[in-house]
Amino acid sequence: MASIELHSVGKSYGDHPVLEGVDLNIDDGEFIVLVGPSGCGKSTLLRMIAGLEDITSGTLAIDGQRVNDLKPKDRDIAMVFQSYALYPHMSVAENMSYSLRLRRKSKEVIDAAVGSASQKLGLDPYLARRPKALSGGQRQRVAMGRAIVRKPKAFLFDEPLSNLDARLREQMRAEIKRMHAELGATSVYVTHDQIEAMTLASRIVAMNAGSVQQIGSPLELYDRPANLFVAGFIGSPGMNFLEGRLSQSNGVSEIVLSNGIQVSLGRHVARADGEMVTLGIRPEHVVAASSGTGVEAQVELVEPTGLGVILHLVVHGESFKLFSTDRMLMQAQGAIHVTLPQSRLHVFDKDGVRISEDDV
Amino acid sequence: MSYHQVAGTRTGGKRPLRRFADAAEPWFYSAPVLVLIIAVMLVPLLLGLSYAFRDIQLLNPFSGGFVGLKHLKALSQDAAFYRALKNTLWWTGASVFLQFFFGLILALLLDKPFAGRGIAQALVFLPWAVPTFLAGLNWAWLFNPVIGPLPHWMVSLGLLSAPNNILADPQLAMWGPIIANVWWGIPFFAITLLAALQAIPRDLYEAAAIDGANPLQRFISITLPFLAPTIAITILLRTVWIANFADLIVVMTNGGPADRTQIVASYIFTQAFRRLDFGYASAIALVLLVLLLAYSMLIVVIRQRLIEKD
Repeated sequence: MASIELHSVGKSYGDHPVLEGVDLNIDDGEFIVLVGPSGCGKSTLLRMIAGLEDITSGTLAIDGQRVNDLKPKDRDIAMVFQSYALYPHMSVAENMSYSLRLRRKSKEVIDAAVGSASQKLGLDPYLARRPKALSGGQRQRVAMGRAIVRKPKAFLFDEPLSNLDARLREQMRAEIKRMHAELGATSVYVTHDQIEAMTLASRIVAMNAGSVQQIGSPLELYDRPANLFVAGFIGSPGMNFLEGRLSQSNGVSEIVLSNGIQVSLGRHVARADGEMVTLGIRPEHVVAASSGTGVEAQVELVEPTGLGVILHLVVHGESFKLFSTDRMLMQAQGAIHVTLPQSRLHVFDKDGVRISEDDV
Repeated sequence: MSYHQVAGTRTGGKRPLRRFADAAEPWFYSAPVLVLIIAVMLVPLLLGLSYAFRDIQLLNPFSGGFVGLKHLKALSQDAAFYRALKNTLWWTGASVFLQFFFGLILALLLDKPFAGRGIAQALVFLPWAVPTFLAGLNWAWLFNPVIGPLPHWMVSLGLLSAPNNILADPQLAMWGPIIANVWWGIPFFAITLLAALQAIPRDLYEAAAIDGANPLQRFISITLPFLAPTIAITILLRTVWIANFADLIVVMTNGGPADRTQIVASYIFTQAFRRLDFGYASAIALVLLVLLLAYSMLIVVIRQRLIEKD
């Protein structure tokens, strides 16, 4: 087990930069999830840690030792690929023991390691099979088994669950979490699935367009997104954004939305009067109120999800969503009244950066 | 089964002509192809095989009679045939091995990205486009010390003591056509092996690199198993083709000097088109056919065994 430090790590293909100045300290035993949309550079960053891609600038250190120029095999890390990358001509047992056999470990050591890994992953009945005779979930387990037999310094996961169906993904997600709790191994996990990121991570690194947007615990990213990108990326259905102008009066700030509706923030925001800002509120925080309070909204569309219901609402030309577990709302039609609780409001300045609550 | 019974009872009462038409229907549909196959493949084959048991000499108007096993009996005592058989083994083995060996190296080199790879790939495949007759003439000239540079280069390298034509040297003559054949046949292996190489998923190599495999270990545990089926089938095909491939030998050495480069295929050519003894040539061809069939069957059986074991 080990710590991993990235110090202004960058990558470019020719003149074209794909990753810029990534700073990240991964502590021993942490589970870090790199999350972001396709092409944001998260997989490239992971492959740079693995040694499969060159590092153009900056320093990568594992356990305090600079490894920029070390070959993958000398970094003592294990990686689980999206395609599993199992060796098709080897049996499950041979797949798992390959790295140990290359290191010329004794037969007893290999058998013990493969045995304990296969037992942990429930692979005992399949040890003699070839990968093509396994289901997707079983292959996934073999790929993980291949990683854990080595007891490496760190595990790297490159979208390991994206080839599985939804139910299996959920199951394997829990299994990965259990495995991490058991082994306590430093892990870096790449995904574009925010549920995986939220459920697995001790810390999430949200990335977009080759740069890190925010690093923090899952709830930190959910409760206090650093900018519009993180606010919109984390959470489903996505956060509502309403554009407006800041209006200061008597030490309390208000946002005048483009449709004329005034939303009081209930606190002072240290920005100039009249500045353009974006108001954000999560659909699950919008409250359906009894008539007479809040604003009137037209119901455009009702999407039941089973757990609850998503309402698509329009208030004077501004559309936004509401999520509620109140089943009564399933019958909603025409106009309903909604309120936006002040404690749940996020405010972002004209550059999309969060205006912090402490920023008074 | 049940369908046939139902159909049988239904057509049972029909007129015989109708029943014949029903039975013959599939044959009518496939008739054009069957006729073509019989006319183009089977008839010439059987005719050729029948020559092996007849006395057919082009310049003797009285020949043509059935002679039974006379040709085969003569063949069994023909020292030139046995030498040709030995030469065929040597010619085929060396050509196939070297073509495969260099073809594999070329394919591995072309699989790596480098500037100008597209042009290099196109150029590598050029020899395959050269007619064998021209390739043979070219190489014969290259080996000719009067006009070709190769003998002089080989002297400079210490391979030859004097710039002689190796095609005229009984000990070395076979190397001439083999070298020409290797030059001409490398692209076939390079093309097919390169295609197989490019079908190997890249992340397998990455997984192996992380697992700690060096390039040689990656080649042995990933590349070779993936290439094995392609290697097996291409070597089988090339072996049969090269064993039958007399063009280069006829053009470059004509089987000489002193029959040292005579292979069975060129021996057949000599018997048929120089001695004009078609009967005897057909008998040799029959033996070659049987040998190659046996070889192919052997490979097919071995391949089947390997697949079953898998």
